[in-house]
Amino acid sequence: MAKVELKNLTKKYGDVVAVQNMDLTIPHNEFLVLVGPSGCGKSTTLRMIAGLEEISGGEIFIGDQKVNEKDPKDRNVSMVFQNYALYPHMTVEENLGFSLKIAKVNPDEIESKVQDAVNILGLEDLRKRKPSQLSGGQRQRVAMGRAIVRRPDAFLFDEPLSNLDAKLRTQMRTEIKKLHQKLKTTVIYVTHDQVEAMTLADRIIIMKDGFIEQIGSPIDVFNNPVNVFVATFIGSPPMNIIECEITKSNDQIMIKLDNDILVNCPKDKIAKLADLKKVIVGIRAEDIVPVKSFSNEQKSLWFFNKAIDLAEPLGTETQLFFKLQNKEIISRMYNPRPVDVGENINFQIETNKIHFFNYETKKSI
Amino acid sequence: MKQIKKIGFWLLVLFLLILICLPGIWIFVSAFRPNPEILAKPANWIPDRWTLHQFTQMFSINGYVSVPAFKYLMNSVIISSVSTVIAITIGMMGGYAFARFNFKGKNKIFLSLMLARAVPGISLSLPLFILFAKLGIINTSFGVILVYVAMNVPFTIWLTDGFFRQIPKEMSEVARTDGCTRFQAFWNVELPLAGPGIGAAAIFAFLLSWNEYALASIITRTVHSKTLPIGMMDYLDEFTINWAGMCAIAVVMIIPALILTFIVQKHLVSGLTFGGVKG
Repeated sequence: MAKVELKNLTKKYGDVVAVQNMDLTIPHNEFLVLVGPSGCGKSTTLRMIAGLEEISGGEIFIGDQKVNEKDPKDRNVSMVFQNYALYPHMTVEENLGFSLKIAKVNPDEIESKVQDAVNILGLEDLRKRKPSQLSGGQRQRVAMGRAIVRRPDAFLFDEPLSNLDAKLRTQMRTEIKKLHQKLKTTVIYVTHDQVEAMTLADRIIIMKDGFIEQIGSPIDVFNNPVNVFVATFIGSPPMNIIECEITKSNDQIMIKLDNDILVNCPKDKIAKLADLKKVIVGIRAEDIVPVKSFSNEQKSLWFFNKAIDLAEPLGTETQLFFKLQNKEIISRMYNPRPVDVGENINFQIETNKIHFFNYETKKSI
Repeated sequence: MKQIKKIGFWLLVLFLLILICLPGIWIFVSAFRPNPEILAKPANWIPDRWTLHQFTQMFSINGYVSVPAFKYLMNSVIISSVSTVIAITIGMMGGYAFARFNFKGKNKIFLSLMLARAVPGISLSLPLFILFAKLGIINTSFGVILVYVAMNVPFTIWLTDGFFRQIPKEMSEVARTDGCTRFQAFWNVELPLAGPGIGAAAIFAFLLSWNEYALASIITRTVHSKTLPIGMMDYLDEFTINWAGMCAIAVVMIIPALILTFIVQKHLVSGLTFGGVKG
């Protein structure tokens, strides 16, 4: 039951910087997800919090205690590993009770705490089994049970669902979320899967090359990505990114979506875009809406007509692929109907759903 | 046709088996018959008369002692066991260090340990003899144990290093976040997992000491420290060789070695199976 605080945390391997000057406060009971591509430093950060990796610079606090020099055993955090790391020579209940046995807790208390974990995770029938006799999902559950039994100040999850198949992953994701609601403990969760990040997190941290790119609630980072990297990383399919020239004609600022498609700059962006030559336009697939005819509503809208290259029906929606500026663009068609390749389709985009990024800095405008 | 092929195959196997086992069989047979019969020409494969004479003499059951085999057996047991325990303890820790830690000159130290194994032991016999004589530990069990520990440590390090490497490092990491010190993690988690491997390494070390002849023949002088392989030479007199006695003491030597070899084989075949980590 504690908050976790990182101050100016840095990790270097020789000349290679894995984590750079990270500042972060994780309040008690928060479910924080660290997400990013492999090699971004998210696992290293987690391992530094656990004490498994030495710190090159900065400070880590758990509760009010500085734990920089403390051994993992004295930090009172529990870690769940990607490959479960169950003790193969112990039964499920021995695995669960191991940390308490090491702490010399009396056997009755161990039994009652193990029983609690068994109840929470539904492991009753598996108590006497060895890890080799369990399925992947069961092993993962035991690994979580082992973490619960200690009642740690914080749970650290290192890509715990990566080794599971897709169906099981969805199921365990829900269980982890429920578990957190039940236990009310700080959770720091590392994943490279943005869907896991979105569904589980109270707050997401998107990392890249050892730096934090953005911190925010899932909805916040989805709706207001601060740069192109976050915009393309969060959301599936990734946000469509188009590099466009800005042209001026008759005092009007126009954006060149494609060779023959010129659209008006949204009014609220005119001031910011007026002096630029190029801009990066980001539009989510669901915001590029296929329409029968262009609407006459008062909303500010972009319209264009394009022949599609490919249509992928998914049941609830059909994904339409076409090209703008020679880049593949995906649009989502809800209420799907059969679509032919090469068919010309009208698309409309609400301008307030469009993201603009600076061409040079890639930052949000 | 198929039947004939099959029979032919098994006949070949039988022939090879006899070829391989013949010396062993000859030792066993000869240990239980009188000396003259061993020297009979043509060879007498099945003894006319079975006798335990050599064994009763060796172990002085009728009050007559040919060779103090019991003392030699004890020497062998003590020297081999003690040197194995010491070698495996050092080797296990060394192997763990090589498998888990990074330190300066790690590869060079490892290589030099392996190179030490490549030096033929007998080439060290003279310096060893002089050194031990000056130190006054010639003809002591301690001296022999020292030599065998030195001989076995590089070997056990090499073997246990391999076994520890097979254990994922997450095992010790999760144990440490579970509240273990590094040593507790080693003791409670990694050592039990490497157990079969370490056991196999220990048996190898034991057999190596048990069978060693060359160095022991230099260091040991009397019944005080002689091991079974050296004791065997007691049957070699100036003018006669007691073949039956030699074979009998060889049987005493072979049996423990044979049992241990079976155990090693089982461990090496079963190997290590992990359920804790998804493969």
